[in-house]
Amino acid sequence: MKKKILLLAVVFSLLLLNCAADPEQQAVTYVEKDGNEINEKVLGKWNRSCALCHINGEAGAPIIGDTTSWSEITLKGEDALIRSVLEGLNSMPPLGYCMSCELEDFKSMVKFMVGSG
Amino acid sequence: MHTNPRKKLSRRSFLASSLRAALFGTYALSASARTKTPWSNWSGGLSCSPKGRYDIAAEDQLIDLLRETSGPIRPVGSGHSFSPLVPTDGHLIVIDQLSGVFDHDSQSMQATVGAGTRLGDLGAPLFEVGQGMLNLPDIDRQTVAGATATGTHGTGMNFKSLSGYITGLRIITASGEVKDIDASHGDLFDAARVNLGALGIVTQIRMQNRKSFKLKKREWTAPTEELLRDFDTLAESHRQFEIFPLVYSDYSLALAIDETEQPIGQTIAPAQEVELADLRPLGVDAKPAEKLAMNNRLAENAQVSEEIDLSYKILTNVRSNPFNEMEYSVPASNSAECVREILKTIYDEAIDVDFPLEYRYVSPEDPWLSMAYGEEPHATISIHRSAFEDYRPYFNRIEPIFRKYGGRPHWGKVHSLGHDELNELYPKFRDFKEIRKALDPHGRLLNEHLKKIFAA
Repeated sequence: MKKKILLLAVVFSLLLLNCAADPEQQAVTYVEKDGNEINEKVLGKWNRSCALCHINGEAGAPIIGDTTSWSEITLKGEDALIRSVLEGLNSMPPLGYCMSCELEDFKSMVKFMVGSG
Repeated sequence: MHTNPRKKLSRRSFLASSLRAALFGTYALSASARTKTPWSNWSGGLSCSPKGRYDIAAEDQLIDLLRETSGPIRPVGSGHSFSPLVPTDGHLIVIDQLSGVFDHDSQSMQATVGAGTRLGDLGAPLFEVGQGMLNLPDIDRQTVAGATATGTHGTGMNFKSLSGYITGLRIITASGEVKDIDASHGDLFDAARVNLGALGIVTQIRMQNRKSFKLKKREWTAPTEELLRDFDTLAESHRQFEIFPLVYSDYSLALAIDETEQPIGQTIAPAQEVELADLRPLGVDAKPAEKLAMNNRLAENAQVSEEIDLSYKILTNVRSNPFNEMEYSVPASNSAECVREILKTIYDEAIDVDFPLEYRYVSPEDPWLSMAYGEEPHATISIHRSAFEDYRPYFNRIEPIFRKYGGRPHWGKVHSLGHDELNELYPKFRDFKEIRKALDPHGRLLNEHLKKIFAA
């Protein structure tokens, strides 16, 4: 047992795990990348939800356009990817904070982030 | 409506999946074959299959929609409620486009904000106009509408819930009527500030703020009995004070927050993070006495941490470790005894839980459905369980203790109470029901849960 493990940290890892997002950093207007198309309405939804974590990689989220990370993830296949979005995975809550998203929106968003949209 | 443990890629994922399948079944269709997009709350504990979603871009659009349609609807914020306020087989109303600071007044220090604004998105724009919110709850991704509808609160014996700082709000009723409500509307104002999303769709809210300010947060550990004994003194001597009593331990984490003019920064370095597994070096089957000894050793070695920042950065946090939560307010006169009984029950019955409790004061206030409604000071006590585990055995065992101490449940957190119990606990419950019925006579905003609690 490591004596130097600090209780404060234990408590915070359990109850108060803080992924240290800076709200000012989250106010991002995404500039569309070359080759990645997503319609304006879905992009708005993405900005209000997925962008919270997928721009800066908060809480371990794969960063948009990070082809190395996404190429591993896409091996799961679209069904599994969408299931992860709907049910949540690790720190990502179900629906990834997009309460207005329909299945087609999620599919577009995933393609957009992977870089194949 | 479903109640589910969540999914995680971990050693618990198989167990969680099995538990979920055994209890609730699994999605039968592949993602591509689904015709309806399911909805789940933040913890994954609740889900439903709404007929559809109305993504509201402007108030006029919402008004037209409500006038032209007649089916069941439920407003949804960011899905942070653990009680089934949202699940519906009708349509969800999503208002996250109604966001931002609409206007502000430097004299009154009030600001009107879009009801769909996430709390974490308010701090910076308010700071830019010289304002800061008087108090905030812990989680920053709730919307203003959702947090106030459920009476969500922060910490502090002199601080009200968010709803207590509402000076006006706009509600679009189920039939599309626009109602601008403030203190001049008397009962309607007192009902609307904690409304459970049952009076209409709230589109904008005017909040009483103050001049922007900085806070210093200090955290330390101390024996729980010592902190409970000195709780009133500590709560009076700090702007905000609360404790996190550790289970299977004689210690608590204490958290005090005070206003400061000192420069922003980390005055005492934070502790390093450790994994959940580190808390269980003895294994899940360790005896309570073994856990107690280990946790006490951890607590005795804990270090103080201090941080100074803008108020909104100190008061709210992004929480990425999903959990389910039950919280009750109990009269402050015997709240410490309630904490002791919960800790003793966990120990005596060897309940398998790691999360600490949370214990804090909130100011008495006048929104009818506030947990702290009335003149009597209240304390709130929370229990948590990881979203990857079934919370029900633990919560079901502790809830009667809250009830024994006269507890009132948080509307957005897990509870099992129905109409008769709530009617006893909230003196203005019957009055709220009458206003609800007047504003939504056909029950368009009622879902299964609301029908149960309103006996509608």
